[in-house]
Amino acid sequence: MDIRKVKKLIELLEESDIDEIEIHEGEESIRISRHSQVAPPTLVHGPTAVLPISQSEPSRVELPTVGQGEVTTPSGHTVTAPMVGTFYRAPSPGTKPFVEVGQPVGVGDTLCIIEAMKMLNQIESDKDGIVTGILVENADPVEYGQPLFIVD
Amino acid sequence: MKFRREILQALSGGSFRSGKELGDSLGISRSAVWKHVKALRQLGLDVYAVRGKGYRLSLPLELLDHQVIFSAIPVATRSLVSAIEVQLELESTSEYLVRKARGGALSGHICFAERQTAGRGRRGRVWISPLGGNLYFSILWRFPEGPQSLGGLGLAVGVGIARALQKSGLGDVELKWPNDIYWRGMKLGGVLLEMFGESAGPCGVVIGIGVNVRMPGGVGTAIGQPWVDLETAIGRAVSRNKLAAIVTHEVFSAVREFQLGGLGRFLAEWRDLDALAGKQVRLVTPSESLVGTAVGVDANGALLLRKGGQVRRYYSGDVSLRLVS
Repeated sequence: MDIRKVKKLIELLEESDIDEIEIHEGEESIRISRHSQVAPPTLVHGPTAVLPISQSEPSRVELPTVGQGEVTTPSGHTVTAPMVGTFYRAPSPGTKPFVEVGQPVGVGDTLCIIEAMKMLNQIESDKDGIVTGILVENADPVEYGQPLFIVD
Repeated sequence: MKFRREILQALSGGSFRSGKELGDSLGISRSAVWKHVKALRQLGLDVYAVRGKGYRLSLPLELLDHQVIFSAIPVATRSLVSAIEVQLELESTSEYLVRKARGGALSGHICFAERQTAGRGRRGRVWISPLGGNLYFSILWRFPEGPQSLGGLGLAVGVGIARALQKSGLGDVELKWPNDIYWRGMKLGGVLLEMFGESAGPCGVVIGIGVNVRMPGGVGTAIGQPWVDLETAIGRAVSRNKLAAIVTHEVFSAVREFQLGGLGRFLAEWRDLDALAGKQVRLVTPSESLVGTAVGVDANGALLLRKGGQVRRYYSGDVSLRLVS
């Protein structure tokens, strides 16, 4: 799609009170939104990026680890936190953890839950392999993008 | 299960129905009817049996009906509904719907249950869910984006439910961070969201909603905090089907609004409804327990707590009003 056309569309949107516009042309499509659904939330979820205030999380200073070696030289695929919140290894207190080190996992298997604001996010493996490292302790706070698991 | 629901339907008007009449209409024997009535009693229902007259419920009961709910939903929202299911009994509507979602259920699928045997609260807590009196339901919504952009969704849903209750005629609705529904300091409802899918998107969210409408006598003593039901708060009988429709409509609208504009559109309203603003609260997280002054939420929906002149934000934890002695 011609960049001038895109520019024109943005101007159109700005002049109107429409929030979002989506155009399809053959195989191409473009969606322009006043309130980007992806970029700003990603930005604001980097907790210290926007506000100078931040939850005090002493445990985060030193990355708590189960397998010390993996943290400094992580080999294999790293599964990271898609959101800020509290990391839980089991579906509820007193139940068995979803995974242990050494356990084989497949794509789509639940590895842990991250909870924030009463939203429970089941984190799934995006790789087949063996869990070789669990980098966070149960019930620890995690940041956006923080490494959680190594799957090799 | 099918007969049980039909017998319940026949009794829901609150008048006597004889065992023979019920049996004939369902094509089963009188003793089979009796067995189903016994099963209904075990579900917690107060069914009288009087010789020569038959069975009746101690109080009339309005059962949820998917057609009644659907036709009470405003037309603009109906097009977003892909299915409405009403189940007599489930362990948990959210657990059921998450499973259905993994099997391919469409966005806009709604599931109600008359009773939950393992209704879920946060982190292993139980949502007390007796038969027939309250609303327990879950909504599946699919998002093209990943979870990082959906952080504040729960607060938006809370605002949606508050709007529905206000439109039903209830004043003094409050929200307790992040999304508990309160009325004059007592818990009226709650929301729990469960998310699954890929980090980069798309992902699905199952929004679980519980609203106390008419808590049967005695059951509420098991709830570990001050609570109220809608009929008590509003001072009159409430149609559960109508309430189900209006809450569904307002939650769908809130989710759509959130998709277009994020949490920003809800913040002013959320702050107006904030039950804790300016109050001394205790926050319990897995790693600490602290007391401070609640000073609202930030742009992401995180709780802001002032302690010793410093404001910090929190993404999870249980917050409660601290009793000032």
